[in-house]
Amino acid sequence: MTIKTLDISPVGRVEGDLDVRVEIDDGQVVNAWTHAELFRGFEVILRGKDPQAGLIVTPRVCGICGASHLTSAAWALDTAWGTEVPRNAILARNLGQIVETIQSIPRYFYGLFAIDLTNKKYQNSRFYEEACRRFAAFTGKSYEIGITISSKPVEIYALFGGQWPHSSYMVPGGVMCAPTLTDVTRAWSILEYFRTNWLEPVWLGCSLERYEQIKTYDDFMAWLDENPNHANSDLGFYWRMGLEIGLDKYGVGVGKYVTWGYLPHEDRYQKPTIEGRNAATIMKSGVYDSFTDTHVLMDQSFTRENTIRSWYDEGTADVHPFDRTTKPSQKNTKDFDNAYSWSSAVSHAQFGRLEAGPLARQLVAGGEHGESWQHQDGFILDAFKQMGGANIHIRQLARVHEIVKLYRQAEHCLREFKLNDLWYIKPQEKDGRGWGATEASRGALCHWVDIEGGKIKNYQIMAPSTWNIGPRDGEGIKGPIEEALVGTPIFDPTDPVEVGHVARSFDSCLVCTVHAHDAKTGEELARFRTA
Amino acid sequence: MTNLLWLQGGACSGNTMSFLNAEEPTACDLIADFGINILWHPSLGLELGTNLQNMLWDCISGKIPLDILVFEGSVINAPNGTGEWNRFADRPMKDWLNDLSKVANFVVAVGDCATWGGIPAMSPNPSESQGLQFLKRQEGGFLGKDFHSLSGLPVINIPGCPAHPDWITQILVAIATGRISDISLDELHRPETFFKSFTQTGCTRNVHFAYKASTAEFGQRKGCLFYDLGCRGPMTHSSCNRILWNRVSSKTRAGMPCIGCTEPEFPFHDLKPGTVFKTQTVMGVPKELPTGVNKKDYALLTMVAKDSIPAWAEEDFFTV
Repeated sequence: MTIKTLDISPVGRVEGDLDVRVEIDDGQVVNAWTHAELFRGFEVILRGKDPQAGLIVTPRVCGICGASHLTSAAWALDTAWGTEVPRNAILARNLGQIVETIQSIPRYFYGLFAIDLTNKKYQNSRFYEEACRRFAAFTGKSYEIGITISSKPVEIYALFGGQWPHSSYMVPGGVMCAPTLTDVTRAWSILEYFRTNWLEPVWLGCSLERYEQIKTYDDFMAWLDENPNHANSDLGFYWRMGLEIGLDKYGVGVGKYVTWGYLPHEDRYQKPTIEGRNAATIMKSGVYDSFTDTHVLMDQSFTRENTIRSWYDEGTADVHPFDRTTKPSQKNTKDFDNAYSWSSAVSHAQFGRLEAGPLARQLVAGGEHGESWQHQDGFILDAFKQMGGANIHIRQLARVHEIVKLYRQAEHCLREFKLNDLWYIKPQEKDGRGWGATEASRGALCHWVDIEGGKIKNYQIMAPSTWNIGPRDGEGIKGPIEEALVGTPIFDPTDPVEVGHVARSFDSCLVCTVHAHDAKTGEELARFRTA
Repeated sequence: MTNLLWLQGGACSGNTMSFLNAEEPTACDLIADFGINILWHPSLGLELGTNLQNMLWDCISGKIPLDILVFEGSVINAPNGTGEWNRFADRPMKDWLNDLSKVANFVVAVGDCATWGGIPAMSPNPSESQGLQFLKRQEGGFLGKDFHSLSGLPVINIPGCPAHPDWITQILVAIATGRISDISLDELHRPETFFKSFTQTGCTRNVHFAYKASTAEFGQRKGCLFYDLGCRGPMTHSSCNRILWNRVSSKTRAGMPCIGCTEPEFPFHDLKPGTVFKTQTVMGVPKELPTGVNKKDYALLTMVAKDSIPAWAEEDFFTV
């Protein structure tokens, strides 16, 4: 057999411009390269600007995860300025983050992922006709209801922030809003509407309470068989079809996972510090190594970047983002033996390349590490072990599994607001370094800010897709998506839908992979780079 | 059937996300009820790789009629005018845009980046970004001052960061139903129906504006955001407080100052230190006054307003 090279430009239905090169031998991918093909230069724009500029600019890094960027930007300033954040404001920020992610789940599942189940490749599946009825773009029964209902959760965001996407209602010291009875009542009612019109009847085929009883993979499979409503819900249908068409058979990846943890507890992070964050988040941080089956906490100091295969002239060493000097190459010519992406290769100083995303979050949620009060849920970790590791199918399951727990967290916020208490405590602006993090729907996100002389000296963003989409590193090790593509069966090289499945299962966001330099002179403009 | 192609340059997908929030009509209704055929969209299109490239070439050759070209995101020219920093479907996006704009019946720029350059074009504009027919307030942009699509119209600009979903869907429906000739565009090519009135029009804080009762800091339940917190509502053209966001609210109603995102100068003052969420003043008088009001009259108004302010305007107003 001869090896065939396939260049896919664009992959599409990922956020931004992702191109993939794969080598195919005997109908299987044997090698892969992912390359990010867009560059806007956000941190150079932020340099020298007002310390709060990040609150306006960074949500525009990514319109899908704007609330996540805003969350990170606000907490980064809080830690830099040493603010006090009132309890109500922590809840209001969390609620914004939560409803953005709840919105993203049906929108991503139906809009970006499930429409591929209508690909002609699957026409011999016994599920095919029903998949077309449900998932066909724009006209599928579930597609239409799912895309339309996805706009409801962000109405809650608008009640607190004015609009979604792109509000800047989270500010150091709290939030801008001071909601009233009307806002909270309507928000609650919107949540209920979402639950009774889609989440329970269409997505789960059962009550939230019944779904919450699922603790293991066996529980899940028993749930599937218990009632035709479960088996025929979109979740049940998707799971059964995916097993039949083999979505559980490829898309493995690097086998190690990272999450910053998120949703600071309203009573535990009112005086936010970088060091104090791990012990304050409801959803815990961590690294899960599936080879040794161990969990440890994650810390930003372990982050390393390497640019040997990216369009920068910065040597071959791994460096902490704080120590980067941005020296981009003037020409971004694709050379798969050398540099081929705007993305850097991100790794953990001890664990190497890590996958970020909902699967990572849920594998970490199954660990015994962290604080005793923090959220724990062993379901996805158990399913992962039962299935023999990662694959496309479990990545999807993790993504959609979070919707119920996030729904509960949203209820918690609405219950805990004390309307007559403070929403904002005016902070003292000052110089300093800050770090803020969260989990965007698609994974680990953080911002570093360095303020000097009353303006931004450096601003840096590390987005989930930087972890996932990065090219090979200094040791020649592939990035998580590149690794996940290896072993992918290709049914029709003129329509490599399987590559799409793998890439989209990471719910990639290329636009967050932003780098900066002055094109005209090529001179260094920022000591750290975003992404 | 009206064929629509949606492409993204230096974009964040914010306008796509906003568009998907549309309710009357929904994105799906556009297709089912108004006969708009979405040939391809970066977040929604089925095709990938070569299949998509072939479709784009078929549009350029005329084999597939292109009724509406929607562009989201800035036009990236870096490095040095080549556009190589934004490659799409195997060539610089600006080259696709150049070819497709010549065969499209209508060209619609959605969001600030496509209209004026937006945040990517903010100083120092590392990606050499432009809007389709403007760079900030300066006419020209990527397609040039004299560009007209086949229908005879210039680029229809729907600004905002992001644009409101109804602004997008209503213009698309107007084109699809043959009503676009009823719509007048202002000097910045914005549909006047959305951009003649001010963001302040319909703001729940108007009465506080009139009496000069200020919201001194965030998280309060009283006052107007113009006097201290830098709200641009009185000098920004948009319908944000007439056609509400996400059907429920607007920035100013929720207590966030308007940042003027439908105007070409956004982000204002290039976000220089001291300009974010703070009213710029000289001797206590705002540097920028409501559109059409001069300094002398403003001083007069202030005196009268301060004299006549009722007690309730100084108290918590939007209470629990």
